[in-house]
Amino acid sequence: MKSLWQKFFRALANPRNGIILLLVVVVLMAVGTFILQRPTSDPATIERAYSSSTLRVLDTLQLTDIYHAWYFVALLGLVCVSIVFASLDRWPKAWRYYARPYRRTEPHFRAALLHKALIPVKNAGTALEAAERAFRKAGIPVEREMAAEEVSLYSERHRIAEFAVYVVHASLLLILLGYGLGHLRGYSGFMMLPKGESSNRMTIQTGRGRTFRLLPFSIRCDDAKQENYTVREMISGEESSANKLDERILNRETEMPKQYWSELTVLEDGREVTHKRISVNHPLTYRGVRFYQSSMGASGKLDTVHLLAITGGNAESAKDVLLSPGQTVALDGGYKLALLRFVPDYYVLDHEVFTKSEEPDNPAFQLSLTGPDGKETKMWLLPSLLNMTSEDTPIKFQAAVRTTEQGAAIDMKMVPFTGLEVSYIPGQTALWGGLLLMVLGLIIVFFMAHTRYWAVVVKDQKLGPAVWVGGTTNRNRARFEQDFAELVELIKAELAGGAGKKPAETKKLVKA
Amino acid sequence: MSEARIERQQPATGNLLLVLVGLGMAFLLFMAMLGLKTNPGPIYGESNMLYVALVFYAGAAALYMGFGVSGIERYVRLASISTTLGLVANTVAGGHRWYMAGHPPFSNIYEMLLSFVWTVALLTLIAEKGYGVKIIGSITMPLAVVSVILMQLMPSEVRPLVPALQSTWLHVHVSLAMLSYAACAVSFALAMMFLVQDDMKTESFQLLTSLGMAGVYAAMLLRFSSGDFRVIAYDLARKAEITNDQGQRVFVTIPDLGWLVVLVLVSTLVPIALHFVARQSRREAMFNNVNRAMFITLALQVVMVAAFVIRVRNGVYMAANAAAPVPTALPGSPFILAGMIGSIFAGMLYLLLVWRRSDLQRMLPTTKVLDQVTYRTICVAFPLLTLMIATGAYWANQAWGRYWAWDPKEVWAAITWVVYAGYLHTRITHGWRGRRSAYFAIFGFAVVIFTFFGVTYLLSGLHSYAAVQ
Repeated sequence: MKSLWQKFFRALANPRNGIILLLVVVVLMAVGTFILQRPTSDPATIERAYSSSTLRVLDTLQLTDIYHAWYFVALLGLVCVSIVFASLDRWPKAWRYYARPYRRTEPHFRAALLHKALIPVKNAGTALEAAERAFRKAGIPVEREMAAEEVSLYSERHRIAEFAVYVVHASLLLILLGYGLGHLRGYSGFMMLPKGESSNRMTIQTGRGRTFRLLPFSIRCDDAKQENYTVREMISGEESSANKLDERILNRETEMPKQYWSELTVLEDGREVTHKRISVNHPLTYRGVRFYQSSMGASGKLDTVHLLAITGGNAESAKDVLLSPGQTVALDGGYKLALLRFVPDYYVLDHEVFTKSEEPDNPAFQLSLTGPDGKETKMWLLPSLLNMTSEDTPIKFQAAVRTTEQGAAIDMKMVPFTGLEVSYIPGQTALWGGLLLMVLGLIIVFFMAHTRYWAVVVKDQKLGPAVWVGGTTNRNRARFEQDFAELVELIKAELAGGAGKKPAETKKLVKA
Repeated sequence: MSEARIERQQPATGNLLLVLVGLGMAFLLFMAMLGLKTNPGPIYGESNMLYVALVFYAGAAALYMGFGVSGIERYVRLASISTTLGLVANTVAGGHRWYMAGHPPFSNIYEMLLSFVWTVALLTLIAEKGYGVKIIGSITMPLAVVSVILMQLMPSEVRPLVPALQSTWLHVHVSLAMLSYAACAVSFALAMMFLVQDDMKTESFQLLTSLGMAGVYAAMLLRFSSGDFRVIAYDLARKAEITNDQGQRVFVTIPDLGWLVVLVLVSTLVPIALHFVARQSRREAMFNNVNRAMFITLALQVVMVAAFVIRVRNGVYMAANAAAPVPTALPGSPFILAGMIGSIFAGMLYLLLVWRRSDLQRMLPTTKVLDQVTYRTICVAFPLLTLMIATGAYWANQAWGRYWAWDPKEVWAAITWVVYAGYLHTRITHGWRGRRSAYFAIFGFAVVIFTFFGVTYLLSGLHSYAAVQ
């Protein structure tokens, strides 16, 4: 049993196998971009795109939802395990390297080092001080290392760079952990709320249709508005100054949305808990559930309609009346007007008005006019047929018309609804933290090198007393070689200056 | 093949090219001066400055290429001056656009190209001055010129942003994308130069070039339908793509153009086939035929571009999913144009290599330096790539409430990231150097190209095509 575990560990700790696993994941990811995916494209599109037998095969292989398929998730998990095992495998060595850095300069160590130089000196007594001064001049912090038989110099910078690789891999795990949490426990969908209504039911679009989910609290939409760009904002400054457009035209709104916003109230057991005005990019968060402004539109419900009241057939004397459903408005001469019914899109059958659709493009209004004598007249205003009430009343009514970019339309306002994206995705702290950590780790990995220097006075067989300088780095060797050469020159100059003589001849032993 | 390499001309004295380039630039600038009166707006305005940048970049490209061919050092000095002037004009153009729009120029493909060209020019100057890679301009400057020409075709007017795009994170995200992709492009150019300097066989470059060309035309074949060629319908007056009632893109079918695409595709495949025949027969002389085939396909490709431009420019054609004939225009097919021009450009670079290989090798830094600089460029590109994905996810999270939706663009960005992570891993832990690393860097850039152009053109095209049927 143990050997099996060890085999498993060894196999996954091998970075080569980890890379092969990652390669398979990448290939699957790429395959997924060439096949329509269930969660993102709607079912009808998928059914149109593939024949039913092809679709059956794709569905069985989970290729239509590859990123949530069990094998894809399992492979991602194996990649994570592989990273952990490979890191564990290398950890003891890396830790020993980190915790007990080699500071001494024994002969066997000096022989093995890659970058080194021997500088002959006349006065062995002051040579170490001179070398120390040179290190300081080069801006390299240095300390003295005392051993039984000799004193040497040791300098080390950015030891943490040895760990940056672990930081990067840990951050990758953190990101995948955060994603996994959100994937398993999170949900997201949308909500359509007309102004003034509240609901706790969200719709979840899956590849196979729609499902619902009830939130533990309700959301009420108190107001919803769409702000459009004005003509001035749509055209660039040069054009407007060149054409000298009319101010009134410049200030007119276009159809291009600039911002949507909604006033939302959170209700818990009917109690108002909190309130926020949200807009695109500025969501409301309550108990981890976030509400995003995603769309805006008109519902089939009427807010107000602009009517013209015409007395005695004289169109000049028409008075403006703003009417909302269920509201009664007092008119001149003791008359009262009420809106009994609103049909957004009507048709007439046997002298009865019926609703055809919820699109408010062919409206009908049932009005009730009550005279000062208390006599009520009910009448239909069908603007697409004849924009004037046909009943014989002292005041007749007509719907006001406004001009839009699409032509003439009845001047009425619909109750707006707000489209909200609702999402609950836990594990985000881990995800964003991981991303931040990864960038930091990468910067350390690529732009920080663990460099070390050693210097000691030795007695060379050929040169006599000499300063031995050695150094090593874990990356960016080209730059290090330059730095090392400069340090050697500085030591030479320091030694010459100290002794009052010209620089001694140097024998460099730098290997490529 | 060796005959082709030895076919060396005497280096020109160099004054003729200088005079020609100088006269050409002076003429273009003079013509622009004449046109200024009719063009409203300030002289430092975006369109003027972009034109100036184009003229200087084109001059620099000609001089860099001239240096590549003749090896006259003076060309490089003048080319860098020209590049610097172009960069200044480009900066003014970008700044003016930023000022006019009130947001940094990263919100649509036009503005992204503007930023991309700027970054490429800057990195070229840095690589040249800082690392002594003088010849790099002969690859990057034509790239800049092609991009600026593409920009002239695209809708350039400043449009206000739709609500979801009004976020600082978007600008940060897109600028990081441009920076990292530009760094990837430079690493690709460096890797190619490494291969030139590393004595990779000219035949292998031919295979690589031909495969790239064939890839472009194979991708175009997706728009082939029974001899016709389908392009996106485009309204030049509104500067927008035409959509039908269901909001789907409308594709117009251009009769018979599809056969030309097939012909060119076959012509790009011929050198590949001949390459393998030559390799089998082990006869050096066979490779001369390969180069002849390369000539033929290049000529055909030029014909293809000309035919495409003539047919697509202001054409009105029938469409599969629209009742009446609809118009199309060049700005509707930026990716197809970029692919075709890029393919011709790659072929020309290959010919440069065939004719002037030994001169190129004399002028390039050593393989060791090129290998190091490629690695260093990717060391810069990779953290940028990471930050680009991170900011993109953060922005998506703010705008739509989900940071990762497995959208093709996101998936391919992640694949790019993994490929470059692979490059770094094989280098750091497995000690890969030289050839293998250079291949990896080239493959990485191929993935970048696919992410940048391919995903937008192919995958969305594929999906909307599926929706039409």
